Amino acid sequence: MLQAVDATFGYGDTPVLHGVSLDIPAGALVGLIGPNGAGKTTLLRLLSGTRRPSAGQMLLDGSPLSVRSRAALAQRIAVVPQESQLAFDYTVLEVVLMGRYAHLGTFAVEGPTDLAIARAALEATGVAALEERMFSTLSGGEKQRAIIASALAQISSSSRSSPGGEILILDEPTAALDLRYQLGVASLLHDLHARRGSTIVVSTHDLAFAARVCRTLVMIKDGRVLASGPVDDVLSAGRVRELYDVDVDVVRHGSSRLVVPRGQGDTERRA
Amino acid sequence: MNYVSAMLRRQPLLRHLVLLGSLAIVALPVHGQEQTRAPGRIISLVPAVTEMLFAVGAGPRVIGVSSFDHFPPEVERLERVGALLDPNVERILALRPDLVVVYRSQTDLIAQLGRAQIPTFVYGHAGLADVTSTLRDVGARAGAAARASTLASDIERRIDVVRKRFAAGPRPKTLVVIARDAFALRGIYASGGAGFIQDMIVAAGGDNVFGDTRRQAVQATSELIITRAPEIILELRGDPIDAATRAKELRTWDTLASLPAVRNKRVHIIADARTVIPGPRVAEAVELLAGAIHNE
Amino acid sequence: MRSIRTRILTAVLTFGGGALLTILLAPLIGSTPISVRRAFDWSVPFGDNPDAQIFFIARLPRTLAGALVGSTLASAGVVFQGLLRNPLATPFTLGVSAGAALGAMIAITFAPALAPSGIPAAPLASFAGSLLAVGIVYLLARARHRGLSTNTLLLAGVTMNAFFSALILFVQYFADFTDTFRILRWLMGDLDVSSYAPLVSTLPLVIASFAAFVWLARPLNLLSLGPDAAESRGLDVTGAQRVAFVSASLATGAAVSVGGPVGFIGIIVPHLVRLMVGADHRVVLPASALFGAAFLVACDVVSRTVMAPLELPVGIITALIGGPFFLWLLVRRR
Repeated sequence: MLQAVDATFGYGDTPVLHGVSLDIPAGALVGLIGPNGAGKTTLLRLLSGTRRPSAGQMLLDGSPLSVRSRAALAQRIAVVPQESQLAFDYTVLEVVLMGRYAHLGTFAVEGPTDLAIARAALEATGVAALEERMFSTLSGGEKQRAIIASALAQISSSSRSSPGGEILILDEPTAALDLRYQLGVASLLHDLHARRGSTIVVSTHDLAFAARVCRTLVMIKDGRVLASGPVDDVLSAGRVRELYDVDVDVVRHGSSRLVVPRGQGDTERRA
Repeated sequence: MNYVSAMLRRQPLLRHLVLLGSLAIVALPVHGQEQTRAPGRIISLVPAVTEMLFAVGAGPRVIGVSSFDHFPPEVERLERVGALLDPNVERILALRPDLVVVYRSQTDLIAQLGRAQIPTFVYGHAGLADVTSTLRDVGARAGAAARASTLASDIERRIDVVRKRFAAGPRPKTLVVIARDAFALRGIYASGGAGFIQDMIVAAGGDNVFGDTRRQAVQATSELIITRAPEIILELRGDPIDAATRAKELRTWDTLASLPAVRNKRVHIIADARTVIPGPRVAEAVELLAGAIHNE
Repeated sequence: MRSIRTRILTAVLTFGGGALLTILLAPLIGSTPISVRRAFDWSVPFGDNPDAQIFFIARLPRTLAGALVGSTLASAGVVFQGLLRNPLATPFTLGVSAGAALGAMIAITFAPALAPSGIPAAPLASFAGSLLAVGIVYLLARARHRGLSTNTLLLAGVTMNAFFSALILFVQYFADFTDTFRILRWLMGDLDVSSYAPLVSTLPLVIASFAAFVWLARPLNLLSLGPDAAESRGLDVTGAQRVAFVSASLATGAAVSVGGPVGFIGIIVPHLVRLMVGADHRVVLPASALFGAAFLVACDVVSRTVMAPLELPVGIITALIGGPFFLWLLVRRR
C-alpha cells in the first residue's frame, strides 16, 4: 500500500539514502531497524511525504505521494515524533484536537464529530481521564500516549472504507521511556493494530522492542536495505552482525527475542 | 643712548645699580606674571565664550574651537577639538594651550587638564544676566578686562532699553519652540521658565506660556499648547532656512489651526544663531525678539 | 471545556467591551479638566471652544493612536512568540525596533537635508529602517536551508539589534543636543499624534496584517508542536512561517512609525491573556489585540496625568509595569 521504489535522498551534498525499495502492505506492523545515521528518520520523512526523494518514487495505493495535497496526505499518514515539546500550555484535548487540522477548512471550527473522534482516540490510548490536564504536567509515557492519540485523531475518519487505510509512523517511540512505559507502548501498538487494523511503521534501534512489537522488520544500513521480511528471518545472528558489526546470540524467551552480545572484550580481560 | 652707555662704562657702581634695578623690574612682575599675563594660546569648547573672546579682542589668541563654532567667520580657519560630549583631549594637549574654556559638566576633561597643569575657565549655562557677568569674567581671564566691562555694560544698557520700552504695555502670550520634528508637530521642545531664552522673552516684553515651569526646556504636547493658547509662536533655529522650507514648516502649524497665534498668522520662524547662543550678541537677539513679539 | 466558538465569542465580548470603555473614557481624562458637554457643543465655533479643541485635536487622535499601536504590538507579539516557539519573544526581538530607531534617528539628525519636503520624515524613515532590518534578518535566515530556521532567525535578529545599535551611536555623533534629546524621547514612545493623518496612513497595512493574523491562528497552534510535527499534521510550515514573519514585522514597523518603539506591550499582554483564556491562538489573538488596545490607552492616560502638567513618555509607564511583571513571571515559573 505504501511503497518506496528506488528512493534516493540527500541533505544538500550528503547522500543519505541510496535506492531504497520497500513495500508496506495494508495492516502491516513493520519495524525499521538500523544504527544511528543509517537513514531511518530520513526514510520516515519520505514515507510520510514530508520530504520528496531526489530520485525514485514514494507511492501510496499506487500513486505518487507528491500528487496528493498536504491535507489529503495528512489524513492518511500521521507521524509520532520521538519527543514532543510544546511551546505553550495546551490541554491534552487541545493537543489531540490539533490532529484534526487536515480535516478542517481554514476558518472551520472543530465540530462534534471531531470532538468524538478525539475522545475516541484518547480512549484507545488509555489517557481519556487526562483530557483536561495541561500537557506539560504529564509524565513522559502519558505525553507519548497523548501524542499518539493526536496522531490517531489525525488519521481517523468516520467514513473510512478500507481498514488498514490509516498509517501510523512512530520515530523511536521508546527512546525516552522507562521499561514500564516501553512495555505499555508495545501493548498499545498491538492493540491499535488488532482493533483498528491500522498500518504501523516503527523506527527503532531497540532490537528487542522491534522484535516484540513488529511482525516484519526492515534492516537499514548506510542508506540501503540490508534485509527485510518476517522477524525471525531478519533477526538472525548473521544479519545482526552485518548490521552492527557485533557478534550476538539471538535468544527466544517466550514470545520475546533477546539479542545478547557475545564475547565482550572486558569480560575476557577480567577472566 | 650713547651718553648713558658712556656713563655706565665710567661709573661701575651705577652700572651695578642699573643691573640690579633691571633685575628687580624683571623679577617683580614674575610673581604677578602668573596672575595677570594674558593667555596667548586659548582653546574654547563653548561657542558662546568663543564669541566673547573675539568680541573683547582676544580673537587672535584663540587657537582652537569646538565642532559647533561658527561665529565670527574667523573661527572657520581654526583647529576643531570636539565639543561637549566628545572633546578630543589629545588634540587639545597637542596644541599646547595655556587656557581652555570648558563646560562645567566636562568633569573628566577638567581633571585631565588639571593633571596636565593647564588652566581652565569653567563655564555653566545660566540666565541672561549671567551672560554679561561671564563676559566680564572671560575678559578678566583673557587679559582684556576693561574692554569686556565696556562691552558688557553696553549690552546691559541695550537690553534695558528694550525692557523699559515694553515693561508697562501688554505682554502677548508667547510660545518659544526650540526644537521639533521636521514638517510635523511632534517632539516639540519649548523654552520653559528657566534659562536665558526665558529671560530674553521677558526682557522683550513677552509672556512665555511655559514661564511657570521651572525647567529650561519643556516637552510640549498638543494638549498643553492648546490649553496655553499662545498668541505668538516663535520658532528659534540656529541654522539658516530656505524660503520654500520655511513656508512648508509654517504650514505645519495649521494642524492646530484654532490657536490664536495660528489664526492671526503670528507664527514666526527665526533662523538666527544669535537667539540661541548666550553670547555677546544677546542684545541684538533681544531686540530681534521684541520686534517679532510686538509686530514691528 | 466550552466549545471554541463560545470561547472566542466570550473573549471578544469581554475584552472588546473593556477596550471600548477605555477608549471612550480616555479622552475625557487629562491634565486639563474639560467638559464633555462643552466639547460637543456645536453652537460654539471650534476656534473659541478650547474643550472641543483639546478633545478632538489633542486627546482623541492620541487615544486612537494608543488603541492602534497597542493592539498591533500585542498581536504581533503573539505571532512572534508562536513563530519563534518562545513565550519570551517580543515584536522587537528580531531587530525591528533597532532598524526603526536608526531610521528615525537619521531623519531627526539629517532631516533638513533628506526630508522629502512637506512630509514628516521620521515616521517614514523609521518604517523604512524597520523594513531594512527585517529584510536582512529574513534573507539571513532563509539562506541556510529550505524553510525558516527559528534558531537562525533569533541569532540574525540579535545580531541586527547589536549592529543597528552601533550604527545609532555612530549617527548620534553627528547630532546636536536637541536632536539627541528628541531621539531619546522618541525611543521612549510618544503617542501625541495631534492629527488623524498618521493613523489613516498606517491603517491599511495594519488591517492587512490583522487579516493575516486571523489566518495564522490555527497554524500557530500547530507550529508550537515543532516544525516537523506541524508539517506531518498537514501544515505548510514554511509558508506559515513566512506569512507570520512578514505580517508581524510589517505590523510592528507600522506601529513603531506611529508611536515609537513602545516596549513590553508585546510580551505583557500575550502573557496575561494566555493566563486568562488558555493557549489556543484563535482566542489569544483577538483577545490580545483588544486587551493591548485597552492596556496602552490606559498607560497613556497614566502617563498624561501622573505628573501633570508634564508628561512621562508612555514607554516608561509600560516599562515600570513590565519590569516587576517579569520578575513575577520568573518567580512563578519555578
